[in-house]
Amino acid sequence: MMFKKSLWVFHLNSGSCNGCDIEVLNIFTPKQDVERLGIKLVGSPRHADAIAFTGPITRECLPKAIEAFMAVPEPKIVLAIGSCACGGGIWFDSYAVIGGIKEFYKILKEKHGIEPPTTIYIPGCPPKPEAIIYGVALARKAVEQKQKSEIFVEESDIDDAATLFKEATSTRHFIPKIEVIKRGE
Amino acid sequence: MGRFGLIFKSIAKGRVTEKYPFAPIELPEGFRGKPEIDPEKCIGCGACATVCPPSAIQIHVDEEQGYKTIDLFLGRCIFCARCEEVCPAEAIRLTKEFELAAASEEDLHQVVKLKMAKCAGCGRPFDTVRHLQFIAEKLPEEQKPMLALCPDCRAKLASKILTVAARRHR
Ligand code: SF4
Ligand code: SF4
Repeated sequence: MMFKKSLWVFHLNSGSCNGCDIEVLNIFTPKQDVERLGIKLVGSPRHADAIAFTGPITRECLPKAIEAFMAVPEPKIVLAIGSCACGGGIWFDSYAVIGGIKEFYKILKEKHGIEPPTTIYIPGCPPKPEAIIYGVALARKAVEQKQKSEIFVEESDIDDAATLFKEATSTRHFIPKIEVIKRGE
Repeated sequence: MGRFGLIFKSIAKGRVTEKYPFAPIELPEGFRGKPEIDPEKCIGCGACATVCPPSAIQIHVDEEQGYKTIDLFLGRCIFCARCEEVCPAEAIRLTKEFELAAASEEDLHQVVKLKMAKCAGCGRPFDTVRHLQFIAEKLPEEQKPMLALCPDCRAKLASKILTVAARRHR
């Protein structure tokens, strides 16, 4: 495990609608209270072990996001909170956003030659406070990952529409009834 | 209520902090969690991909292999349940699963690959076998043969029939 002691998190809103930010704040309320697990929000990226991104990362905040990201000392964990941070969300193909953490890593790699750190994707719109706690627990390897990719390939011998509809090959059936109005009637 | 009233009240209330992640939590009625496609039921019609607001469900057609791929990417899903609403085969369902965090983006995909049928006219794969069978159940008998053709061939055939019929009745 990378972090044996408390995990300090710097929360960065990179163009989020505030939904995820409210959920992040929620986990510090008495109901969920993650401070009992040693997780704490800090005010400066230099004090943080992990950086939590919310939002699809707008063009406007990209330079600031890069700066904050670089200020977090190594080793670090990135938490991509919400569907926007994971894959761009509803705005994934908009001109105003770069579209999620994956594109952010691409830009980091191209411009600064930085390899992507350990990243935990927490989908949800917004994710439940418990889903965020689960994500943090996953980052600390306290729980097993439940979500796995599933690929299903249909096995079938039929790949021909003609065998599906055998009558189709006989032309007699091909001519449906058409009512023709004769001229001059 | 004075200052002490509040203190007594909170003592009477007891602990409110839940034990999660060490104990499971109770989910409310109608909670919308992870959407799941039942690969046995899905007919590959693409209705879900059309209505999905963030295009979390995407359809890819591989004409060479003759497969249609329905790719559900959870990392973009907003859990709106529109896919569940439109699915004609009731294949896609929103479960109550919310623990979706994953360490890699690949883990967030569900892929369903369905076999496509070749057109009886031009031989191009144009629709999934299951979708054709699904439509065939609903069509009257005399229109079924038309299903063996792709939309292009169907249009050609229809115009041919019309010309023949028009000549015959001149
Ligand atoms: S059957 Fe349902 S899940 Fe499959 S493609 Fe159509 S709408 Fe989507
Ligand atoms: S719940 Fe909404 S966003 Fe998610 S896959 Fe279905 S239609 Fe798309």
